[in-house]
Amino acid sequence: MNRVQNTKLVLWLMTGFAAAIALNRYVFGLGVTTNLNDKTPWGFWIGFDVMAGVALAAGGFVTTAIFYIMKREEFHPLVRPAVLTAFLGYLAVVAGLLVDLGLPWNIWHMIIYWNPHSPLFEVGWCVMLYTTVLLLEFSPVPLEESSRYARVRNFLMRFRFPLVLLGIMLSTLHQSSLGTLFLIMPYRLFPLWYSHILPIQFFISAVALGLMMVAFESLISHWLYRREPETPLVGKLCGAAVWVLAVYFIVKMTDIVAAGKFGLIFNGNWQSDLFIVEILVSTLIPMALFAVPKLRRNSKVQWVGSSMVVIGMVLNRIDVGGLAMLDSTASYTPSWMEIAISLGIVSAAALAFLFVTERFHIWEIRPEDPQSLPHTPPSFDYSSRTWLGVPRIASLTKHTLAFVLSFAVGMAFMPGRKLHAEGIDSVTVSRATGIDTLCIDGNRDDQFVEFPHQAHISWIRTHKIPTSPADDTSGFALAGKDSCSVCHHLNLPGERLSECWECHASMYAQADFFRHDWHASPAGAKLKCDDCHTAGVTRTAQSAKKCTACHPFYKFTTIGVGATPAYHILSYTDAMHKMCVSCHVVEAKVVKDKQDLALCTTCHRVGTPPNLRAGMKWDISVPHFDNVVLPDVGLSVK
Amino acid sequence: MGALLDFARGPLFRLTFAIMVLGLARLLFLDIIGMYRAYRRTTDKKMPWKLIFSRSFEWFFPVKRVIRERHVYSLLSIVFHIGLIIVPLFFFAHVNLWKEAVGISWPALPYSWAFWLTICTIASALFLLISRLTVKAMRALSLGRDYLWLLLLLVPFVTGFICANVDVGPGSYQVLMLVHVLSAELIFVLIPFSKIAHCVLAPLSQVVCALAWKFPPETDDDICTTLNKKGAPV
Ligand code: HEC
Ligand code: HEC
Repeated sequence: MNRVQNTKLVLWLMTGFAAAIALNRYVFGLGVTTNLNDKTPWGFWIGFDVMAGVALAAGGFVTTAIFYIMKREEFHPLVRPAVLTAFLGYLAVVAGLLVDLGLPWNIWHMIIYWNPHSPLFEVGWCVMLYTTVLLLEFSPVPLEESSRYARVRNFLMRFRFPLVLLGIMLSTLHQSSLGTLFLIMPYRLFPLWYSHILPIQFFISAVALGLMMVAFESLISHWLYRREPETPLVGKLCGAAVWVLAVYFIVKMTDIVAAGKFGLIFNGNWQSDLFIVEILVSTLIPMALFAVPKLRRNSKVQWVGSSMVVIGMVLNRIDVGGLAMLDSTASYTPSWMEIAISLGIVSAAALAFLFVTERFHIWEIRPEDPQSLPHTPPSFDYSSRTWLGVPRIASLTKHTLAFVLSFAVGMAFMPGRKLHAEGIDSVTVSRATGIDTLCIDGNRDDQFVEFPHQAHISWIRTHKIPTSPADDTSGFALAGKDSCSVCHHLNLPGERLSECWECHASMYAQADFFRHDWHASPAGAKLKCDDCHTAGVTRTAQSAKKCTACHPFYKFTTIGVGATPAYHILSYTDAMHKMCVSCHVVEAKVVKDKQDLALCTTCHRVGTPPNLRAGMKWDISVPHFDNVVLPDVGLSVK
Repeated sequence: MGALLDFARGPLFRLTFAIMVLGLARLLFLDIIGMYRAYRRTTDKKMPWKLIFSRSFEWFFPVKRVIRERHVYSLLSIVFHIGLIIVPLFFFAHVNLWKEAVGISWPALPYSWAFWLTICTIASALFLLISRLTVKAMRALSLGRDYLWLLLLLVPFVTGFICANVDVGPGSYQVLMLVHVLSAELIFVLIPFSKIAHCVLAPLSQVVCALAWKFPPETDDDICTTLNKKGAPV
């Protein structure tokens, strides 16, 4: 078993899968890839990728501070890996942000249009500057490979100390300003996490996490490449972490007690349980373990303790970044696609880390991929017995194949039906309820329209529904039973009065009401293609028979069907607005004392009407957003 | 049947199409890396670029070959290749599928062009198959999979042609369509792992040839050693 190879294989698989989902996100938007909504615009990506990512990168500034400022020479072996992790960590944060931001290509706006009052302004600048600083700080390492770049390298080395200082400064700002972001959310964030000194707490915990992340990383890479672990050095880091964790714990507890929130810890609700778990895992248990000198010099305990701090602090960032807000935000659970992308970004960063450590001088002894040692036999492809190339190429051959295959699987998993909706969430419409008065609430969000159905049958008398201002609407006389087809312009096969929701089945997205494939399928209308399409001509909408050729009673004209391309039907919302508003606009001028007929408030109501409540299933968790365009009938609504 | 067709046209299509596109990109990438490594090792860095370009050009537009030798065969082979590339890419219904699924579209072939081009492709494929079977020299050069490939490539063309032009009943239409889609998807998956990969690797083949001439003289022995066949003739 080859640890490095297998780890890399898994990482490549996850990266490939995530790449497919990321493609999906860029082509079709956030709507189809995430469960984010207007009430919860910050979800898993912010909590995990950004908040935790930045915190995990804290190892960089902590180690450089120890080595360059405190002049603790013995930590030298840890500086390069720590700076590399910080650099890759920040790149991962940037990658996560690029996926999460709605219009990532507008990020340059921030550089030119300043808004110094915003914490996000500070965060954005810190990310950009610190990533640049890290790049400059790290680039001497790859540059030392070839003497050709000696000049550049020497130039950079001259600025090493100022760069390190700048890096520490920017990190300090940035780690704490991530906490600042949440100061504006006292009503969202659960009180146990909310605090006026959140920035300070973030900074202290970042220091602890930075120390432990460096330790964890040293342990894991020595395990991967089967080398003697740096136990004494890691032990020292653990010793330092005890102090920092202690400070963190005291600051946090003092704050909670001072704010009178101590009782909340033992409240027994899920937030308090979460809080206790978080404090135990991130702080108390590791602190207790490492406080014993004998234990912290034991490599197994180092494993346990450092991974606990890493997991615990990441949990802390996720809590602050969203988990502890769940009660006040709309119910949000990250979609599997969000999680897949986050895992993919982490995997890609890990792959980059392994690549750089194998390629450049990061550890004192450069780890060799065991696969590429001189005595390993050449590898062959199982199926056709072809040579896969020199070891490095051979593993590339295998890993790229893994990437391709898992990317393809990711593509297959994409929710196909959603793709046609142009990024608009498909919200299934539920039927209107009531008898004489209908309650129209397609998405069951408690915001409904009260529709005097029976009354309309007698009111409708003079008008054809105008589809354009030029339409002649005079002289149309429908009343009583004859008026049905004004609204019920189409009946499904075997029905006499089909209801709106049966065809306008999607709340906000257009749908295919014609059901082309159903007409041609043996289970549906059993028609041959050429029953509708003319033979010998390209089969298009234009060359197909019109619906009325077979369904002469359909009243397409009243409503202007065919206005949408390819026989798409309007969304439920649009169809309702088009139907109701365009008539009301005209009627408002005609009917006496009804000038308000076309105003929003004439129809829209909030809450459940008592007389309609029976027989109605309310499901308010349906995502709600306002993708509504009022019909353009050329008539102005006053 | 309808559900199966939906599956074949949805997830299965995305899976196989991604394997084809990325698989080919991967081959190109690996090929270029291999070439770069070989180039770095050679002692003689001068590459006959002019010759490489003119040769590649000749192979892409084999006018000379058509005129000088094996006229019919070369011509039909060209027709076959053109049909193979143009029809799937520019057939109206295919373009339309892309437009509806992802919203991008490009100009499509007029109906009659698609009709005749498909017929030409099918005919030339049949001709190539027959000549492989009958001409002695060609039969000696052919492996079993060469015949299979021709047959496999024929399947989506024939079924697609019937679906588009013959007024079959709705039941048999669905079966034909399923065969059409599945066979095309089988082709997609096989492309990056078979000789059809030459559709992207061909532009590089002349460069690879030129590089091969520059291997250091003792290379063949090394290759044999690596392959565990020391002393075998190269
Ligand atoms: C019930 C009549 C009917 C039948 C049967 C029918 N079609 Fe259509 N077809 C239409 C109509 C109407 C349109 C335009 C509306 C649309 O695109 O959905 C259309 C559109 C198309 C389009 C897309 C054109 C575009 O611009 O989007 C294609 C391709 C097509 N049909 C092929 C076929 C094939 C193949 C069959 C046999 C399996 C078939 N049709 C059976 C009526 C029919
Ligand atoms: C063909 C024309 C027409 C259409 C279509 C129409 N209405 Fe009306 N509606 C009227 C007229 C006319 C009145 C006023 C009658 C009166 O009070 O004399 C009215 C009155 C109303 C009222 C009562 C307003 C009040 O002030 O008493 C409501 C509510 C209403 N409509 C809702 C709707 C909804 C919802 C729809 C769409 C589903 C709709 N209407 C479609 C013509 C129409």
